[in-house]
Amino acid sequence: MTYSETTPRRTEVLVAEGLQKSYGPRMALRGLSFVLKAGRLLGFLGPNGAGKTTSIRILTTIMEPDAGHFSVDGISHEYPDQIRRRIGVLPESFGLPKQMTGIEYLTYFGQLYGRTASDARAVGMELLEEVGLKQRARSLVSTYSHGMRQRIGIARALVNDPVVVFLDEPTIGLDPRGQQELLGLVQQIAEERSAGVILCSHLLPEVESVCDDVVIMSSGECVASGTVADVIGRTEQNMMRIRVPPESLEDAQRELGTIASVRQVLPASGMPGWLRVELDEAAAADPFVNNRVLDTLLRAEIPVLSFEPEGGRLQDVFLQLTAGGIK
Amino acid sequence: MSLADDRSPAPRAAPVWRIVFWRELRDHWVGGKALVMILIYTLLLGIYAYLFASNSELQLLPLKEVVLEIVKAAVFVGLFICLIVGADTVSGERERATLEGLLLTPTSRRQIILGKFLSALSLWPATLMIAIPYWVVLSKGDPVLRAALLWGPVVGTLLAPAFAGIGMLASIWSNSNKPSMLVSIGLYLLMILPSEYSGLATTTVGAQSTGLSDLFQLVNPLGASSRLLHESIMADAPASQLWLWMTSPILLPAVVLAVLFVYAGPSLQLEVGMRRLRVRPT
Repeated sequence: MTYSETTPRRTEVLVAEGLQKSYGPRMALRGLSFVLKAGRLLGFLGPNGAGKTTSIRILTTIMEPDAGHFSVDGISHEYPDQIRRRIGVLPESFGLPKQMTGIEYLTYFGQLYGRTASDARAVGMELLEEVGLKQRARSLVSTYSHGMRQRIGIARALVNDPVVVFLDEPTIGLDPRGQQELLGLVQQIAEERSAGVILCSHLLPEVESVCDDVVIMSSGECVASGTVADVIGRTEQNMMRIRVPPESLEDAQRELGTIASVRQVLPASGMPGWLRVELDEAAAADPFVNNRVLDTLLRAEIPVLSFEPEGGRLQDVFLQLTAGGIK
Repeated sequence: MSLADDRSPAPRAAPVWRIVFWRELRDHWVGGKALVMILIYTLLLGIYAYLFASNSELQLLPLKEVVLEIVKAAVFVGLFICLIVGADTVSGERERATLEGLLLTPTSRRQIILGKFLSALSLWPATLMIAIPYWVVLSKGDPVLRAALLWGPVVGTLLAPAFAGIGMLASIWSNSNKPSMLVSIGLYLLMILPSEYSGLATTTVGAQSTGLSDLFQLVNPLGASSRLLHESIMADAPASQLWLWMTSPILLPAVVLAVLFVYAGPSLQLEVGMRRLRVRPT
């Protein structure tokens, strides 16, 4: 019987309030606050050096905050042993022992969480099946591929049926299919186990597609948090990008420049064949402005290869909010 | 289901130290460095014994001295092996990125350290089992074998926990194996070189040893052990005269194990320099 079957879980499974941490004179974390609810998947984003790893290490009780407070399933951070019983963690870089098979590895960790050897083994087999590694249960983990190592890492994070699961860059180094499969597995964990999942990743389109909530960090500060839709909606949306054939670039730039609500049209930096169209503030509130821009190009018989409003994607929000905070 | 089945107690989870101990033991002995080190140890002892048995100049040495040298070699190299294995226990896990997973479990740090300590110590009985046949062969049935079989294991069993513990302390306080090994080997050399020099002086100049050199030997656990083995094997000294030389071999493990299990073990962190977690009593 699993923890979730026996104990009613709180809706808010993780609450962080004003977490601070400094390394000598350098402030690594300046008052991080957010809430994670059961069954929700929260994307934890930020450029390198933004304070993500420090935050995860504090929330997983590896490190102590200088100030602030957090609780997991209602348990204060002052009781790290009890919190460890309720969390599962896949660290960004984790090693596997050379001489253990997949099932021995999970049995070992199951026992460390207080299960008997037979119970730990049974749970280990269930988890191996859940992460798609049942066929390799008796293979040495040192023979596993990178994707399989990530999967067994996730299985290990689930041996104690956690309330909150921390996954630090689980898709790093995986091919696109592997990334997609793993993110599917992460979604399944949140949905089927009713666990709150914190997913640290640099794959912003994937985070946008699988996560319910998002926290964006920059220079140790939380610069945005909320549902993905809310956070995307809070940013400036008076830009758009249009891709036309290279030979039509000048014509398109001239035609678009004739529209009254267009402030300026420039080639998008680092994106050959793309134009970046900046609109005035009044146009940003006009729901038909995109139609007018496209109509202008169609009338001039300029082929439109691609079109995307800037600010309408998590990636744009991330770049806007973390500009200057990237180290 | 019978009534007896209903009354049978639910199976209990094994203590953490035992779980860690078995895992570490397996890591050491199945494809780990323990097996390699034991093979090297066996080879070294074999070469050493062969030289004593076949070299014409070494054959001139008194039998007691030959036995003393092979006992010292077996014990001191055995201690070195415990030290090296101990020096890999924590810093090695930090290097291999396996420590974080262990520290994220709700287990007592002290129990983790105890399991690792016992597995590092497992090499000592193995080295002793390998060494004893060499002592038997080289003693050629002489009564000196009795002193060798008593005091060799006593000295080694006293000091093996100390050396495994010193290695582990260096390992706990190092982020990688390099500094851990360097510190451990450095400390070993610091103790073994003066002890070997003092041993040489005792053998060659005997009665001329000064009070100061005796004091140094007494304070240095390996020096005192060397002297204890010398007195018991060469001079057939009774146990009542050997207690003085057992002082530092008894004190060293007491101090090392106290530091390991009372201070360093419970404050084990993912990285050296991280602040120890303040934990409220549950």
